[in-house]
Amino acid sequence: MSRVGVGIDTGGTFTDLVAVDIDKGAYYYHKVPTLTADPATGILDGITELLAASGLSRRDVAAIVLGTTLATNAVLQGKWARTGMLTTAGFRDVLELARQRRPHYFNLDIPKPMPPAARDCRIEVAGRIAYDGSEITPLAEDDVRRSIELLKTKDVEAVAICFLHAYANPAHEERARAMVKSSWPEVYLCASNDILSEFREFERFATTSVNASLMPVMDRYLERFERGVARLGIRRSPRVMQSNGGAVSTRAVRAAPVNTFFSGPAGGVIGSVGIGMQLGLPELITFDMGGTSTDVCLIRGGEPAIKSERSMGGFPVRTRTLDIHTIGAGGGSIAWTDAGGLLKVGPQSAGAHPGPASYGRGGTEATVTDANVVLGRLNPNALLGGRMAMHPDKAEAVVAQLARRLGVDTTTAAAGIIEIINTNMMGAVRVISVEQGEDPRDFTLVAFGGAGPLHAADVAATMGMRKVLVPPRPGLLSALGLLRADARGDFSLTRLIPAERSQLKSLNAGLRVLARRGAQWLKGEREIKGSFQWFADLRYVGQNFELLLELPAQRLEVKSLERLVGAFHERHREVYGYEMRGQAVEVVNVRLVVTGKRRLLAAERMQPVRGTTKQALLEKRAVWFPAEAFVVTPVYARARLPADCRIVGPAVIEQMDTTTVVPPDAKLRCDRHGYLHIELAEVRAAAAKTLRRARARA
Amino acid sequence: MSLAMDPITVEVIGNHFEFVTQEMGITLVKSSYSTNIKERRDCSAVLLDAQGRTISLTAYTGGHLGSVLGLMEEVFKRYPLASIEPGDVFMANDAYSGGPTHLPDITVVAPFFHDGELVAFCATVGHHTEVGGGLGAAADIWGEGVRIPPIKIFSRGELREDVLQLILLNVRKPDERRGDLEAQFAGVRTGQRRLRELFSHYSRDQILGSAAVLFDQTEKRIRRSIALLPDGRYEFEDCMDDDGFDAQMIPIRCAVTIRGDEIELDFTGTGPQVKGGINVTFNALRATVYFALKSALAADVAPNAGLYRAIKIVAPPGCLVNCVEPAAVLNRSDAYSRVIDVILGALAPAAPDRVIAACKGATTGIAFHGWTGANNRYWSYLETIGGGFGARQGLDGVDGVQTGTSNTSNLPSEAMEMEYPLFVERYELIPDSGGAGTYRGGQGILRRYRVLADGTYFRTKGDRCKTRPWGLFGGAPGFAGRFILNPGTPGERELGSKEFNIPVKKGDVVEVWTPGSGGYGEVSKRDPAFVLRDVLAGQVSREGARRDYGVDIDEARLKQLAHDM
Repeated sequence: MSRVGVGIDTGGTFTDLVAVDIDKGAYYYHKVPTLTADPATGILDGITELLAASGLSRRDVAAIVLGTTLATNAVLQGKWARTGMLTTAGFRDVLELARQRRPHYFNLDIPKPMPPAARDCRIEVAGRIAYDGSEITPLAEDDVRRSIELLKTKDVEAVAICFLHAYANPAHEERARAMVKSSWPEVYLCASNDILSEFREFERFATTSVNASLMPVMDRYLERFERGVARLGIRRSPRVMQSNGGAVSTRAVRAAPVNTFFSGPAGGVIGSVGIGMQLGLPELITFDMGGTSTDVCLIRGGEPAIKSERSMGGFPVRTRTLDIHTIGAGGGSIAWTDAGGLLKVGPQSAGAHPGPASYGRGGTEATVTDANVVLGRLNPNALLGGRMAMHPDKAEAVVAQLARRLGVDTTTAAAGIIEIINTNMMGAVRVISVEQGEDPRDFTLVAFGGAGPLHAADVAATMGMRKVLVPPRPGLLSALGLLRADARGDFSLTRLIPAERSQLKSLNAGLRVLARRGAQWLKGEREIKGSFQWFADLRYVGQNFELLLELPAQRLEVKSLERLVGAFHERHREVYGYEMRGQAVEVVNVRLVVTGKRRLLAAERMQPVRGTTKQALLEKRAVWFPAEAFVVTPVYARARLPADCRIVGPAVIEQMDTTTVVPPDAKLRCDRHGYLHIELAEVRAAAAKTLRRARARA
Repeated sequence: MSLAMDPITVEVIGNHFEFVTQEMGITLVKSSYSTNIKERRDCSAVLLDAQGRTISLTAYTGGHLGSVLGLMEEVFKRYPLASIEPGDVFMANDAYSGGPTHLPDITVVAPFFHDGELVAFCATVGHHTEVGGGLGAAADIWGEGVRIPPIKIFSRGELREDVLQLILLNVRKPDERRGDLEAQFAGVRTGQRRLRELFSHYSRDQILGSAAVLFDQTEKRIRRSIALLPDGRYEFEDCMDDDGFDAQMIPIRCAVTIRGDEIELDFTGTGPQVKGGINVTFNALRATVYFALKSALAADVAPNAGLYRAIKIVAPPGCLVNCVEPAAVLNRSDAYSRVIDVILGALAPAAPDRVIAACKGATTGIAFHGWTGANNRYWSYLETIGGGFGARQGLDGVDGVQTGTSNTSNLPSEAMEMEYPLFVERYELIPDSGGAGTYRGGQGILRRYRVLADGTYFRTKGDRCKTRPWGLFGGAPGFAGRFILNPGTPGERELGSKEFNIPVKKGDVVEVWTPGSGGYGEVSKRDPAFVLRDVLAGQVSREGARRDYGVDIDEARLKQLAHDM
């Protein structure tokens, strides 16, 4: 009997599916359009088709993992549930006051975002806990009862319970929750200490109320999906990818839908981590370029960068997520001229409909894809392995029109579009690197998504990166990554105390609280054993920004605490360039990451291609490169490239789901696993020089 | 446009300029020490050309625009361009000889050399919460802290530790200052590194040429917006409550003259400079004017030196908005909040669809300090509190936000209670505080503190307690601000907006009401459905609906509606 894994990556336009015979290393792929109205149904049909085509049995499905954009879309479209809030007396407006900043510094027209719980649905309850957890005023249970009755009249579907300092002592929140539960069992319910046991009330309340408002939406969706999966005869319950890169039970996601905002892009990052492990490349920057946007993430020492806060719908959502930076730059990005006559590209995208002009579906504006067609970088005749005809004349026409507005020739305009979008994407890569205190030149750029390999070499070259890696199936990396994901739960608790031996008891008590939560979660995930990693956020007393350090064990001793403080000073110097040994250090939060390891998939068994590079040659066509203008360039079929072959650029490699451009003088190697390694040697100075020449000619 | 300056190269290089200051800003915020810079992001990063003109600015707060405006002029006065060497770093904070608009804004600027030629400067501005000086109200600039003219803090790459020590000895929290300064140094180094990369990709002429084109474009955009306004002279006047020393109100007057694509703002008629620290230097006035005009006329143009060319500013020396040494300037942002209101008020007849009604009109806030614990540790805490942001054509005002050039974050109440002997009892919007109108003004904030330790002092900070933020085109004014000590007790005392060193003991309560903002348009034209919505949300009281809008809402109907909506 074989064991089958199914990964489903829901994208904005298409859903990618992959089925893997886990032991044999046989991989099967499928792509279906995403049905925005009823995403579950589209996916279920896709699974049926995929399994039928691959000949795998539904009964053999041992793992099914879903990457979903449901929560993200619900927030972006304001389709969250009507939500009520019980909150501390005097603090009804925390959500509205936010951090008191205007949404835009100069623009007078932009209103504040609407919170998921409207003002009349935010009800105050007397009772107060102090920052140290002591009770100042007892909870007014009458207020709670009255609030419940009031919220019932307002037809809310979900209730968020948000009290001040609940991270220090959750007693009031838990009591209120018990009261709501007993008198209103059908309402969706979420307390702030459940979802984020950390101080800073606006962030905690926002995270809690956004979560509560998504619970009904996520629950209904997963209900339909799970029922459908069961009806297909798949006996395993599905798991869902979270933003932290871990795939967990639907139960966990129903309770914390805020953990799924980066569910989709997380697959690509985890997929890249897997590649790094396989190839021994622990320092990577992912470059996932699609039709409308590009996601980048830095992976250091095999660990993706993690962030603890993201803005969703204008609200800060504090959950541990992979630090994926998204910019509005993709193949469909539209080129336009601003009021000053400068050429701009994006963030508007032609999307899939009408799509770039060269798709011949009625697109009338020049896009990045059209520029690539004009420059011969994309096949002017057909894409998707010949399934989609291209219209180079239409691309030429829209780019020429733009060129006239700019007063340059068509080639210069097309090259300009590419250069601008590449600069913007380079900016994104730089920003994530600087934020992590890293130099991108020490990393390899992993290019995937439909358009990643088309632009990666140029983007890498502009910032002096030397290595680009293109996986065998760049369009499907995210779906594959889903199957590689471990189960992962992140837990945190604010414990603001001096990092001194006299506080060990209190610190260890905090760690025990986390240990209990972790064990409970593991049980809920039906995992037999998990690995527990312990962390603490530390800072100098008086600072307001923390550094994350790993703890040696769940229990801290005098010695290990001293070492921890020493490690903090060192890390501070590493990150900020200075340390202050004389200054007292305090612990802010303690953290726990529980990981349930999944069995590794067998690598896709590739038939090593025999033959010569020459046999892979499809044609030669004129392709434009910044350093050389148009050059007659060999175009190869990826599937026919022999293992261990070496090619010196310029070259174009075409395959079903993407096109890879290899600049002049770059060295390409196709390894035996099917990865393309591009080595960019000193192309950058030359590129700049010739670019200037090309401009002068234009 | 020359051949080398095609619109593509300019766009590409322009984006690079933005990345340079963005990365400088990230470095500064990440490596800074104080809450004010790290959490509230009260800092900026700037790229300037060799003449000191702003090429690109990553500003988290707009007053810093002014800090950089004057800085380079002052640096050049002391250090001719030819005498500046690689590795030099300048630093200044003085409002009269250094450029910045008040002493807490310390500015750091470093030259960038390409092939031996000085081609650009990288600057960072940080608001340092404590720069020495007295604890009470200063009556002149010397009382406001240590004054630093443009000095070389690094000479050819060598830190002048003795000079730094001199400065640090004059402040109460030297470690914090040092940490933040290190972050500012790190920020300019990041800028230099990025420029080096940029100059290895593009030629000097392409880069400097692009900057010139970008200046032209910003100028063209702003001129085009000015040209759309009807020619004429438009005047407006408003008054500051007082300066904290004298009870007298201080007028701020502005006459805006539009002639074709030129605009002139004349502040003649504004009251003379005052003893209290609400005076505005000319650089600060320039920054304020640029901010107001850019916001109203062309919010999306790049904030570079081109902005300044189309705008003429006149203000007699010695008046409140062009103060001369030794006027105190610490709380200048209270006055320039009002300057913005006055400019927009003057522009209203010419650009009714671009302006907003009066905002809260000051950087309202409160500052506590004291000595606690066995070792009598000094603590101080200043917070500014948001309020009403004016209504405009088609849009209600914004409730409870920072207004004017200030846009810094608050400190969470939970963090405040952890760190200081203070307890927040209430923190909420004030119903009815936004002026009525076709479009309602934004609401002010009520924040009530209970003091938890004896030996605590506080001061009030703000304005607009004696007058109300005005509405436009028939809109009603919003609530004025208030500071109340021990409200609802026999000892209740209403305080002024600039009172210093008020002693309080454990258990005392201080309540701040920040001003709301003005409404826009006739009240009678407000859609009753909006009034009802506001009543349901508790933003407008039922009495307010009747009194301010003439809308009667009976209880039973309200309940029914609450259910239906």
